[in-house]
Formats: sequence, structure tokens, C-alpha cells
Amino acid sequence: MLQQWVQYFPDMMKGVLITLKLTGSSLVVALVFGFILALMRLSTSKTLNLIGTWYIEIVRAVPVLVIIFLAYYSLGNILTLSGFTAAVVSLGAFYATQYGEIFRGAILGVDKGQTEAASALGMPSRTIMRKVILPQAFFTILPPATNQLSNLIKDTSLVFTIGISDLMFQAYSAASNNFLPLDMLLEAGVIYFVFYLVLSKLLARWELNVQRSRS
Amino acid sequence: MSNEVVVSIRNLTKRFGKTVVFEDVSLDVHRSEVVAIVGPSGAGKSTLIRCVNRLHPFDEGSLQVLNHQLNKGSQFPSKQVLNDIRTRVGMVFQTFNLFPHLSVLENVILAPIEVKKVPRKQAIQQAMELLDMVGLSEHANKYPKRMSGGQQQRVAIARALAMEPEIMLFDEPTSMLDPELVGEVLDAIQRLAKDGMTLMLVTHEMQFAKEVADTVVIMADHRIIEKGPSREVLENPRTGRAQAFLKRVLNPVHATELEREVAVGHGGGR
Amino acid sequence: MHIVGLYISPIAIGALKDLILTILSTLLSFVLGILFAAGRLYGHPVIKLVIGWYVEIIRGLPAILQLFIIFFGLTQIGINLSPLTAGLIWLVAYGTGYAVEIFRSGIMDVAQGQREAASALGLGRWITMRKVIVPQAFALMLPALTSFVVLQLKNTTLLYLIGYADIMYQARLGADATEAPGTLYLMAAAAYLIMSLVIGRIGYRLEKRATAYR
Repeated sequence: MLQQWVQYFPDMMKGVLITLKLTGSSLVVALVFGFILALMRLSTSKTLNLIGTWYIEIVRAVPVLVIIFLAYYSLGNILTLSGFTAAVVSLGAFYATQYGEIFRGAILGVDKGQTEAASALGMPSRTIMRKVILPQAFFTILPPATNQLSNLIKDTSLVFTIGISDLMFQAYSAASNNFLPLDMLLEAGVIYFVFYLVLSKLLARWELNVQRSRS
Repeated sequence: MSNEVVVSIRNLTKRFGKTVVFEDVSLDVHRSEVVAIVGPSGAGKSTLIRCVNRLHPFDEGSLQVLNHQLNKGSQFPSKQVLNDIRTRVGMVFQTFNLFPHLSVLENVILAPIEVKKVPRKQAIQQAMELLDMVGLSEHANKYPKRMSGGQQQRVAIARALAMEPEIMLFDEPTSMLDPELVGEVLDAIQRLAKDGMTLMLVTHEMQFAKEVADTVVIMADHRIIEKGPSREVLENPRTGRAQAFLKRVLNPVHATELEREVAVGHGGGR
Repeated sequence: MHIVGLYISPIAIGALKDLILTILSTLLSFVLGILFAAGRLYGHPVIKLVIGWYVEIIRGLPAILQLFIIFFGLTQIGINLSPLTAGLIWLVAYGTGYAVEIFRSGIMDVAQGQREAASALGLGRWITMRKVIVPQAFALMLPALTSFVVLQLKNTTLLYLIGYADIMYQARLGADATEAPGTLYLMAAAAYLIMSLVIGRIGYRLEKRATAYR
């Protein structure tokens, strides 16, 4: 048994690499797009606001797996995305809604008095956002953002359904080779769990320290 | 005030972990006596009265409440004892702590119905009388969050009175209120005092303490530094610490000026 | 349009199955979640620890991995479950892990002053829970409970991957047969969207009512 764990470990690590690459790329898309969504929802333009709101409402309501299938099989007919690109697009599109709401909440959470004080000093609204609001919002963003990152890593496991050889895929194919599904899935589980622990425990502690040192 | 002692505090000490909240506190409260506890914040006043209805345990000394001797340490007294104390000792909090999901009337009748098993109809009748007494009977069906702080605190008083307590504890009942709302709450408390209720009151309202309280206790630096008849203690405090405290609260502007003069006179640094 | 007409009823039936699974697993998860939350808050230290780790494992592993362990993994030790049984077991196990935290933080979020006020009035622990803490905690928790139900609904999608005939399964069949995956996956997405929005609406209504006192 143990020997099987060892034997398939290199394959699993290859999978981990893809999982991480996928996570990183999707995260970038989600952060950028999420920030745009937050700005749309905070903007005074009714149209932008409505578009942002509806995008978030709709995309959040649909399972990630469905989004992945839509991107891969449906969009694929029109512009042929590679599996990896389809995965990044769909995960990015979904997690943008999560990050968008986190950003919006954090920006709204900064005391109104701060904006008033900055305006009273004659700062233009862009400067207020950049120099006053965002630095304060940053620390309220960190914990929920880390939490979503750990969800993102877990959701990358869905992309094995469109043939991307991530960690989940490696575990599944190892199991079809050696007929030890419990062992192989548990091995992958241990690896996923390590990432979860690192993100939820170590990062949380670091965040706490940063916050303490700043208050 | 009668001779019967209803709360007897002997050499009481309370710690949170290693921090001393108060130590070696002794105090007797007689039936119908009004005791005001004053002093700078952090002196342990609130914690002291929370020990009386056993919201907090204490570490050393002894404490008798009504006919119950409470033991030290975190072990709870028996359920019957605890229940008896809680029903016979009422408490009003600084932050009101009304139950926000219940209407004013429901707040007042909850404990009589659930704890004393008073029939609902009778509980409502009694609650309306109490609300009338604090001038809020027409607000009976409102939710607490829709009322001013002063009104909420008067509801809290009615809620505590609904259990027909023999002793009432007040934990800074007016310090969360806007100045113009303080009067209505103090009036309600004064009425209780006149009706012969035993009161233990933590407060910053010195004028009120002087007029209404029989006894004033000054706590500072985790102990009682002075106690006695209210006028005597507040007008002619004996200890320097009490004098300094009273000077600061009775005349803040003057006190800071004085301190500054003293500081300058002594070449700075206090 | 022809394709839509052809596949609308199998997808609707799939949706109904998903909805039933959602409701059933939600109810079971809530019951277990409340028990576990009570255990985690007031139980013996060992119970606290066990429940704590249970929650961490459920939260720490990808959903699909958990489902596969139950459906495929257990075959290795001779336990063969049908897709429906495995799916339901997983939905409840997963849901419980999340529900525990919702209930626990809901109870803890009720202000300390409320407990003190209840004690000072002589209310016992049980009455305090029932009349003071739980009604307020429920109002505090409603938004989280609504998202929970939507999450469970979305999780039912994964059951398709172990061969349970839900919305996605029907959409996949249709996509393969008609070579029009765009239409069919959009129909599946629409089905989830409608159900999620309805759940969200109901939750919002309840919330309005439960927090009327604010």
C-alpha cells in the first residue's frame, strides 16, 4: 500500500504543479475582473451598476462545473479554447464575483468620515480612493480573500472533467491503474489538505500579526 | 432603612486571571438602604455588583445575599440558590440589554411567565402597571430599537421590577445616555428609592448620589477608599485620593487648571 | 428552439430531482449541524476536538474529492453504494460541516449582554437559549443559511460525475446527441439560475420578517 503511495507521488506532484499554475492564473483574472466589478457596483452610473449587479447575481447562482462546461464545450464551438484557457476563464469569471463583493464590502466599510475628511482637504476622488480608502480596506480584505483563495484551489479540482491533468486527475488515473481508489484519493486529499492548512492557519496567523502591528 | 442586613460583603477579592479587579472589599447593605458606588473607571465597581447576583464568581472572602451564603471560587451555587438570588435581586445594565427581538411588553413579561410561572394575563396586567409607572405604557408594543436610550433604560427598569425583587442593582444606568435623557431615568430610580427599595447603584452622577443615596462608597485602585453617609463623604472626603477624584468629577475645568498650575509651579512633570 | 423543446422536460425532471436532494440534505444537515454546534460549544473537550477536525476536513478537501472517496474509494474496502446513496451521504456530510460553523457563530454572535440580562432575570439556560438566544441567532444566521441552501443546490451538480441522472446528466446526454452543447449547457445553467434566485428570494423575505424588530 505505502509503496503505491510512493510510486504515484511523482505523478501527483506533476498534478500539483498544474493545480498551482491554474490557481495562480485564475486568481489574477479574478482579482482584476473582481476589482472592475466592485468599481462598477460602486459607480454612480446606473447602467454600470446594474450590469455589475446582474453579472454577480447570475454567475454566483450557477455551479462552477456548469460554467466550466459552458466555457469549454460551448464557447469551444466558436473560438476553440484550450482546456487550460477555458478553465482559467471560467474559474476567473466565477471568483471575480466573490472578490468583487469582498472589495466592495471593504471599500464601503471604510468610515464615511474618511472620505469627508479627505474631500475637505481638497483631494480628488481618485486620490481619495488610492491614498485613503484602499490602504485601509486592504486589511479587511485579507482574511476573506485568503478564504476564497483556498476555495479556488479546491475548485480547480473540477477541471479534471475537461481533461486537464491536475492533482485530481492524477489521483483518478492512478486509481484506474492500480484499482486502489481509496488510497490514491486519500493521497491527493492529504496534499490538498496541506494547502488548506497553510492558507487557513499560517496565513491567518500572519494576517493577525500584520494587523496587530498596524493598530 | 432598617437594621436588617440584606447584602453582607466581607473581605471580598476578585481577579481575572492574574489581574486584580478589587481586593479586600467589605460592605453591608441594609434593607431599604440606597448605596451609591462611585469612583474612577477601572476601579472594579461594576464587577463588585455583578458578584452580588452571581453574574461573576469571586476568589476570596465571603458574601451573603439575603439568606444565602455564596461560596468563593468558580463553582456555581445550587440551582435553587442561584434562582432564588436572581429572582430576588434585579439588575439594570449600562447598555440596557433589552431583548431586541421582543416588544417592550414581551420583554417585561418574559421572566415572570417563564421563571415564576405567573399566568400570562396577570403578567401583562402587572407589566402594564410597571410601564405606566415609568411612563411608557403607550409604547408597550414597540420594539426596543425604535426607542430612545432613556426609554429603553426605563423599560429595562420595568423588566427588572416585574420579578418583584427585594434588591435592585444598577450598573451605570445613565452613562450611555444623551445628557437630556439622563433625568427621566434618574427620576425612575429616585421613585424606587422613595418606595423603600434596596438599591446598589454604580454611577457617575454625583449630585444624584448626594441627594438620593443614604450611603456613598468611593472605590479607587481596586479597593474601597472611603464610605459613609452620602453628604459627609461627598462634601468632606477624608483621604487625599478621594478628594482628588471628587475634585475632578465635580469641577473638571477647574481641576485641570489646578493640576496645570500645580505642574507649572513645581517646574513641570506630574 | 427545436432542441430546447426536446430537452426541456428531461432537464426539468433533473432539476426537480436536484431540488428534492437539496431540500432533503439541507434538513438533515441542519439537524446534525445544530447537534454538532452544541457539541462544539458546550461538549466534552474530546467531542469539541473531534467536531473541530471534522469541520476542518470537510472544509479543507475539494468537494469532488470527498464525493469520489465515498463513491469510488469505499469500493476498495468492499462498500458499494449507489450513486444516489453515495450522493446523499456526501451532501449531508458536507452540509453538516458547513452548517456547524453557521450555527456556532450565530449563537456566539448574540451579544454577551443578552446572556447577562437573561441570567440576571433568573432565566434558566434552556429558556435563555429558546427565548432569547436562538430567535436572535436565527435572524443573524438567515443570510448564511440562504447561501447554504444555494451552495447545496449547486453541489448536487457534482452527483452527475458519479452517474446520477440530474440536470447536468441530461444536459450532457443532449449535448452528445445533438452536438449543440451550447444550447444544452445554457439550459442547465438557466435551470440552476432560476432555482438559486427563487431560494435567494425566499431567504430575503424570511430575513425581512425575522429582522423586523431592528
